[in-house]
Amino acid sequence: MIGAALDLAGRVAARVAVLAAVAFLLVPLLVACLMSFDDRSFLGPFPPRDFSLRWYRAFLDNPAYTDGLFVSLQLGVIAAAIATAVGLAAALALADPRLPGREAMEAAFLSPKFIPTVVIGFSLLVFTARLGIYEPMTRLILGHVVITLPFTLRAVAASLIGVKRSQVEAAMSLGASEFRALWDVAVPAARSGIVAGAAMAFVLSFDEVAVSLFLSDAFTQTLPIALVAEMRANLNLTIAAVSTVFLAATVVLLVLLDRTIGIERLAGDVGARG
Amino acid sequence: MRRIPVALWLAAPGLLLLLALMGGPVVLLVLESLKPFVPGSIRPGEGVTLGNYTELLAPAYLFYFQETFRFGIIVAGLSVLFGAPLAFAAVRSRSALLRKLLLALLVGLLVMSLIARLYAIEMAWGSLGPLAPLGALTGIAPRSPRYAEVQVAIGLLHFTMPVVALMLVGTFRALPPRLEEAAASLGARRSDVVVSVVLPLAAPGLVSAFLVALAMCISNFVVPLILGRGIVTLATSLMYTRFADIGNYPSGAAIGVVMLVLAFAVVYGLSALARRVLPGARL
Repeated sequence: MIGAALDLAGRVAARVAVLAAVAFLLVPLLVACLMSFDDRSFLGPFPPRDFSLRWYRAFLDNPAYTDGLFVSLQLGVIAAAIATAVGLAAALALADPRLPGREAMEAAFLSPKFIPTVVIGFSLLVFTARLGIYEPMTRLILGHVVITLPFTLRAVAASLIGVKRSQVEAAMSLGASEFRALWDVAVPAARSGIVAGAAMAFVLSFDEVAVSLFLSDAFTQTLPIALVAEMRANLNLTIAAVSTVFLAATVVLLVLLDRTIGIERLAGDVGARG
Repeated sequence: MRRIPVALWLAAPGLLLLLALMGGPVVLLVLESLKPFVPGSIRPGEGVTLGNYTELLAPAYLFYFQETFRFGIIVAGLSVLFGAPLAFAAVRSRSALLRKLLLALLVGLLVMSLIARLYAIEMAWGSLGPLAPLGALTGIAPRSPRYAEVQVAIGLLHFTMPVVALMLVGTFRALPPRLEEAAASLGARRSDVVVSVVLPLAAPGLVSAFLVALAMCISNFVVPLILGRGIVTLATSLMYTRFADIGNYPSGAAIGVVMLVLAFAVVYGLSALARRVLPGARL
């Protein structure tokens, strides 16, 4: 009797926890989304009574945002491309059991993930200044490649787990060079990890604040830097409009990723942190 | 001449990149932290000193680190407490649609801009927001300056929970369902199965997830920057103000080195400890 009651209580508690967690994660996003269509010219209490697109127009009319968007897109694409290429090569290397010092190398490759980004930004600032690199875009690309590399490597490595070394060796025994064998056998098999890693790298770069704050200058600002400056100065609904655009972009990206590699697989590839 | 293995060629670009862009800067950071600070000048003085480190032992500075860990431990605990049922539902729910929707939510949050999420939290939980009455349940009024603490905690929780849940999805997927079925076929109730079969088997994963969440909280910079309103200063914000507001590079570098050591201690040191207590914890 008591056991059955406890069992019921446990099940109810678990359901409530799941519901609470989902609500906690989703409700703020929906609130911001609704507020972004507010017609009031000031930040008033929720919910808005009249709706308009004025905050979306305000975003497009502000050059700090549009310039920042352009810088961020450029930076994200370049950094993600470099991090994906280097991460793919490194993951292929780490998949080879004969590589000397494999475990140490793997730890080294994943280590930037555990270094606080402020520390990376600060130390890169000191470092690039010492080397005489002052061009902000170059500095930003260097910084963003470092922070995204562990994620591309990890995603590719996760998708390479299914590829057996013997398959690569079979291709080599048929006369392919080792490079050729890896390119024709392992790389196609790692496609889902490459896509997931590249997407993750772009997203991380596009949202990065700490590293960019140290490495950008007054003339080359990324979108997140412009947004954070605005949020700290005066909170207004332009940012709600940007957040809603980000939310929509995330949904589109999710659908695309689901079509190409599948959510289940993706959860395994990007979720394998740690 | 022996041929260099292809794998080494493939690893070389990444290794060189890390050596140049992480090894070099970190070494410089350590050197910088040992220089004396000359007030009013961005050029450090001559000589070597440990002053920038001993300064951090003053109670005023220790307080910032203590605060950082207080936030981290509370948030990481809550993250696992709610992330675990979420992950379990995403893996073992009977409805395939629900499983997929939960996974999509988690992956979606992982790729969604944190800045946008933090702004949304400010909108929803801020003093004008519809969730402010819930925030007031913590005992801190939404209009009081101290409410920034609640907001920072909420922001960190929103940041860590999807990561924790996805890590635990991996943990729960790896558990053989046969054990649960066996317990159920022997007459165990569902909640008994979870408490006496699933949780003990998942314990190493839960500990790893907690430690990763803790490391994420300690290292995070954006959350206190945006939601802290200058009232909540955590270790990362302290380092930034040293650099940006005071121009004290050596002290900023010393804080950076301390944070580096702390972050690695949490991830590697504590997880090694956890492995000893709970064989099989992976990190």
